[in-house]
Amino acid sequence: MGAALLTVKNLNAWYSDEKMILSDFSLELAEHEVAGLIGLNGAGKTTFLKVLSGLLPTFRSGGIYFCGSPVNFRKRDFKLCRYTVFAEDNSFSYFTFREYLSYVFSAYRKERPDLSDLIRGFHFEEYTDILLKDLSTGNRKKAFLITAFALKPQLLFLDEPVNGLDFQSTEYLYQQISRYKEHGTILFSSHILESITLTSDRVFVLEHGKVRQTFERGQISAADIREALHYENDM
Amino acid sequence: MRMTCKAFAKKLFGAKYERLSRTFFIYLIVFWGLYIAGWKVQIAPFIRYLMVSALTAGMMWQALSAKDIAVEMKHMMMLPFECRKFVFSYVAVIGVYTVLIKTAALLAVLLAVSVWRPTEILASVICIIHAILMTAAVYYLKKYWYAGSLWAAVIAAVVLFWGNKPWLILLLCVNSIFAALLLCKADGYDFYRRENEKSQTIKRREHGSVWRYFFRYLRFHKNYLFNTAVMWCVALLLPYFLGEIEGVFVVPIGFAILSLNTPVCILLSCDRDLEQAVRFLPGQRRAFCIPYCLFLFLCNMAADVIFLCSWQLQSNGVTATMIIAAMFFALQSAILSVMLEWFYPIRDWKIESDLWHHPRKYIVPGMMLLLAGAVGAWTSLIPVLMILLVVEAVILLLFFCRGI
Repeated sequence: MGAALLTVKNLNAWYSDEKMILSDFSLELAEHEVAGLIGLNGAGKTTFLKVLSGLLPTFRSGGIYFCGSPVNFRKRDFKLCRYTVFAEDNSFSYFTFREYLSYVFSAYRKERPDLSDLIRGFHFEEYTDILLKDLSTGNRKKAFLITAFALKPQLLFLDEPVNGLDFQSTEYLYQQISRYKEHGTILFSSHILESITLTSDRVFVLEHGKVRQTFERGQISAADIREALHYENDM
Repeated sequence: MRMTCKAFAKKLFGAKYERLSRTFFIYLIVFWGLYIAGWKVQIAPFIRYLMVSALTAGMMWQALSAKDIAVEMKHMMMLPFECRKFVFSYVAVIGVYTVLIKTAALLAVLLAVSVWRPTEILASVICIIHAILMTAAVYYLKKYWYAGSLWAAVIAAVVLFWGNKPWLILLLCVNSIFAALLLCKADGYDFYRRENEKSQTIKRREHGSVWRYFFRYLRFHKNYLFNTAVMWCVALLLPYFLGEIEGVFVVPIGFAILSLNTPVCILLSCDRDLEQAVRFLPGQRRAFCIPYCLFLFLCNMAADVIFLCSWQLQSNGVTATMIIAAMFFALQSAILSVMLEWFYPIRDWKIESDLWHHPRKYIVPGMMLLLAGAVGAWTSLIPVLMILLVVEAVILLLFFCRGI
C-alpha cells in the first residue's frame, strides 16, 4: 500500500440533530489504490461521499488530512484534486455532454485530452451532442463517468457507479476503475458485490455510520463480505 | 379515494400538514394588521369576483402543470385506481391547496380592506369552486385548447360585463356542474404530464459557455420567457401611468418595478442538482455567479431600455441621470438577486408554483422600490448610490474571484 493520501479521523456527520449518520468514522486512503465502500441502505456511504465532496457542512471530526496536511473540503485547492460522480445527477441539464466536459475542464483548469477511447468504451458516440436533460439515466451516468475518467483527478469518488449501466458499459467501467491506480485513488460505493470484489484493493464494510470491517487485498472474497453483511443484517 | 387524497396532500402540505398552520398564521397576521390599520378601499363586487376567480384559476393551472406533481403522479399511475374517484380526489386536493395556500392570501387582504356583505362572501366561495372545477375541466380538454380558451374567455367576459347581475351566480353554478360532468368523463392519465421523450441533437459545440446555458434555459422554460416578455410590455406601458404623476422624479419607480422579473432570479433554487454542482465544482463563484449576475443585469437593462425609449417617445425628456439610474437599479438588483441565490437559496418548496410565489423572491424588488422612493425624493442620491455600487461591486468581485 502506498503513502496515505486522505486520512479521516473520528468523523461525525448528521442531517438533523436527532440522528447521527456517521459516528466516529475513521478511514485512510492510500495513494494509487481502489477502495470500495459496501453496506446496507442507510449505512452512510453516500453521506460520507457527500462530506468528502464538500456538500454536507454538518460534520465534526478529529482531523482530516490530505497528503499529510489538514484539509478543508470546500477550499479550491482540495476541490481541484477531486471529482465526484453522484448516484443521481441532473445538473447542467441544458448543456450537451461536450459542453459540460468543456465547462468542467475549464473549472479544473485542465486541457481536454482525446476522449475517443472512453466514448467508444462506454458506447456513447451517439449522445455527445444531446442535451443532458434528454439523456436516459444510464447515458447521463456515462456522461459523468467519462468526464471523471478523462479529468483524472488525484482522488475520484464514485457513488453507486454501476447503477443504470448496461452490461457492456459495466465491464468497461470495471476495467477503467482497475486501471485508474496509475493516475490516482478511487473511493467508490456500491451495492453490487461483484463490482467491489473485481476492482478493489481494500473494502470497507459500513454499518450504522462506522467501518465495521476492512478487507485487504488477498482477503477480499465475495463469501466473506457477504457474511459480514449478513452479520450486519442479523444485528 | 382517501389514500389518494392523503398522498397528494402530504406532498403539498408536508408530512404533518405543517404548511397549512404556518400559512394560515401568516395570513391571519396580514389580515389582522390590515384590519386594525383601518385602511379601506372601495372595490366593486364583480371586480372581487374577477380577482378571486382569475387568481384561483391561474394558480390551479400552475399546480396542475407542475413537474413535481407529475413525478408523484407517475407513482400513483402504477396503482390500480378507479378513474372517477382518482380524478375527483386529485382535483379536490389541488383545489384545496390552491385555495388555502394561494387564494387565501388575496382573500385575507380583500376581507381586511373592503366591506363585504354575507351574500358577497358566499358568491366569492362559489366563484372559487367554479374556478377550480372549470380550470380542471379545461386542463382535461387541453388538446382542444381553442375550445377551452373560448370557454374561459366567455366566462371572463360574462363576469366582467354582467358581474353585478343576480343571475351571474346561478350561471357560475350551472357552469360548475357542467365542468364537473366533464370531469366525470376524464381519466387520471389526462392529468398526467408525460415527459418529453424526444431527444434533439444540438449543433456540435466544443465550448461550454455558461451564457449559452442561461439562454437555453430561458428558451426551454416558456413561462419564464413569457414573464420576460410581459415585463417588456409593462416597460412599454409604464411611462403612460408614471407620466401622470407630477412633481416627483418617478422614473426610478419604473426601474424598480421592472426588476420584478423574478423567475430568472431563482436559477439555483429551482434546480437543486445544479446548485449541488456549482457548489461542488471548483471556481464557481467566479465562473458561474459573475456571468449569472451579468445575465440578470442584461435582462433588467433590456426592460429599462424599453421603458426609457417609451418615456422618450411620450415626454421627450430622457436625461443622463435617468440612464445612470437605470444602470444602477439593473445592476444593484442583479447583484442582490445572485447573492440571495448563492447564500440563501429557497429550499422549502414543494412544487414549482410555490417557488414562483415565494416571498423571498420579492425581497429584492421590495428593496429596489424603497430605494426608488428615496431617489425620487432626493435625486442627488443617485451619484452617491452609484459610487457605493462601484465599491460594492469591487468588494464582491474580489470575494467572488478569490478561492473556492
